Amino acid sequence: MIHLNGVHFSYEGREVLSGIDLDIASGEFVALIGPNGAGKSTFSKLLNGLNKPTQGTVTVAGLDTKKARTSALARKVGFLFQNPDRQLCRSTVRDELLFGLELCLTDKADIQARLDKTLADFHLDPALNPLTASRGERQRVALASLMALTPQLLILDEPTTGLDWRECMHTMELVTALNRQGATVFMVSHDMEVVRDFAQRVLVLNKGRLAADGTPHEVLRRTELLSDAALLPPQIMQLSLSLGANYDDIDTCEEMTESLIRRRLEK
Amino acid sequence: MKGMLQYVHGNTILHKVPPLLKLLIAIAICAACFSTRSLLVLLALIVLDVILGFIGNIGRQTLRTLCSLCKFSSIIFVLQIFFVTQGNALVTLPLGVRITDEGLRFSAMICMRLIGATLPLTVMLTLTRLPDLTRQLVKVLHVPYKYAFAFTTAIRFIPILARDMAAVIEAQTARGVELDGNFIKKLRLLLPLCVPLLVSSIRKIEAGAISAELRGFHLRGKKAA
Ligand SMILES: Nc1ncnc2c1ncn2[C@@H]1O[C@H](COP(=O)(O)OP(=O)(O)O)[C@@H](O)[C@H]1O
Ligand SMILES: [Mg+2]
Repeated sequence: MIHLNGVHFSYEGREVLSGIDLDIASGEFVALIGPNGAGKSTFSKLLNGLNKPTQGTVTVAGLDTKKARTSALARKVGFLFQNPDRQLCRSTVRDELLFGLELCLTDKADIQARLDKTLADFHLDPALNPLTASRGERQRVALASLMALTPQLLILDEPTTGLDWRECMHTMELVTALNRQGATVFMVSHDMEVVRDFAQRVLVLNKGRLAADGTPHEVLRRTELLSDAALLPPQIMQLSLSLGANYDDIDTCEEMTESLIRRRLEK
Repeated sequence: MKGMLQYVHGNTILHKVPPLLKLLIAIAICAACFSTRSLLVLLALIVLDVILGFIGNIGRQTLRTLCSLCKFSSIIFVLQIFFVTQGNALVTLPLGVRITDEGLRFSAMICMRLIGATLPLTVMLTLTRLPDLTRQLVKVLHVPYKYAFAFTTAIRFIPILARDMAAVIEAQTARGVELDGNFIKKLRLLLPLCVPLLVSSIRKIEAGAISAELRGFHLRGKKAA
């Protein structure tokens, strides 16, 4: 689905990404983590053609991003920006969704069906004005307008920042549902719990290179590597690591509770 | 577009000249541009602007600004040619459209005036710290602080707006708006995109006003009670 070969990227001579090779298969759920300013947003924009590599090649859904027009890629790739306001430009949710749908589709009946389904899935009021809605709602509208198109690849730049727990879970459930239907998900996140719970694969970006690539279980345990990238594992993993021996394989609170109870019973 | 009008730190003579004097020089160059009709003088003034840019150690940036101004004015140039019909026809197109020597001269003059008047202002503003300018406006010209502050804040908003516009264009391109097409099509597509830009600017202005109030802006200039 995604194929990066020796990719370098610079902004006006200042190199942000230096030498990245990466393959992501169709249907994977990948999280990208790293310190502020590491180039995570820059990296994500390489995947939908907004940024073109200064060196190397990026292939997404069979298209070379250097040759394909960004608008052609838009039909296959949905991109949720860090700041959803930039994406919203209509005064009702209904118009906003229609605007996105009509940009990429032509079949009227199909558009109407997708509109209705999305409004229902996202519990959105079609008459709501997204420009004056709350931050969580604006984010939901922006995501809805992308998901209505059922993209093959969904890129999310910090989708849960600024959302409360319920909104966060709701967003992640919708994303997971799309992922189960076969879409590839690429998510930038600062929330290690979200990464642990939803991603199948974690990439760590630090100093312009991929410092780690593996399952959350492996990567989030490498405390030294994470602290070098100004990151901390989820608290329960820190606890399990410091307890050592019989506990250091535990990722979640549920597993920890289970293990503690079992040990007590054994005694 | 990026970084336009943003203060560039430096240690050159132009950085040390008092802000008001700089503004005065810039306005003088602008005025000269609009009072002359000679293309040669206009060209000299533009060269002077570029030299000023190099003295202020922002030569490359000045050339980049000049480049984008040229692109913009070439559109005006083309439109203008068709509206001036006096003078000797050089080329006659169908439908009675004539391109005249006077038309060419006039269009060139308009474009060079535009460039010559914009460039000194951008160069000077890039070399001036806005708070310094505010201070001088208040101290030397006795402009009420409120207005001086509003003026400099407005200038500071230009680069922010430009950056926001770039971000909005990026976001909409990602959705499939085809902004990589021709100019007219681009303009038609860009207009609705001004909505998010407007919304984010108003939010920023509001936030700026509130934060100024919170820091006691309205107390300024009044006697402490
Ligand atoms: N449009 C741009 N022009 C120039 N530099 C940029 C631009 N966008 C980001 N940068 C710089 O690139 C680096 C990486 O930024 P970014 O990708 O936003 O990081 P992250 O998303 O990981 O916080 C930062 O140092 C930032 O200042
Ligand atoms: Mg970012």
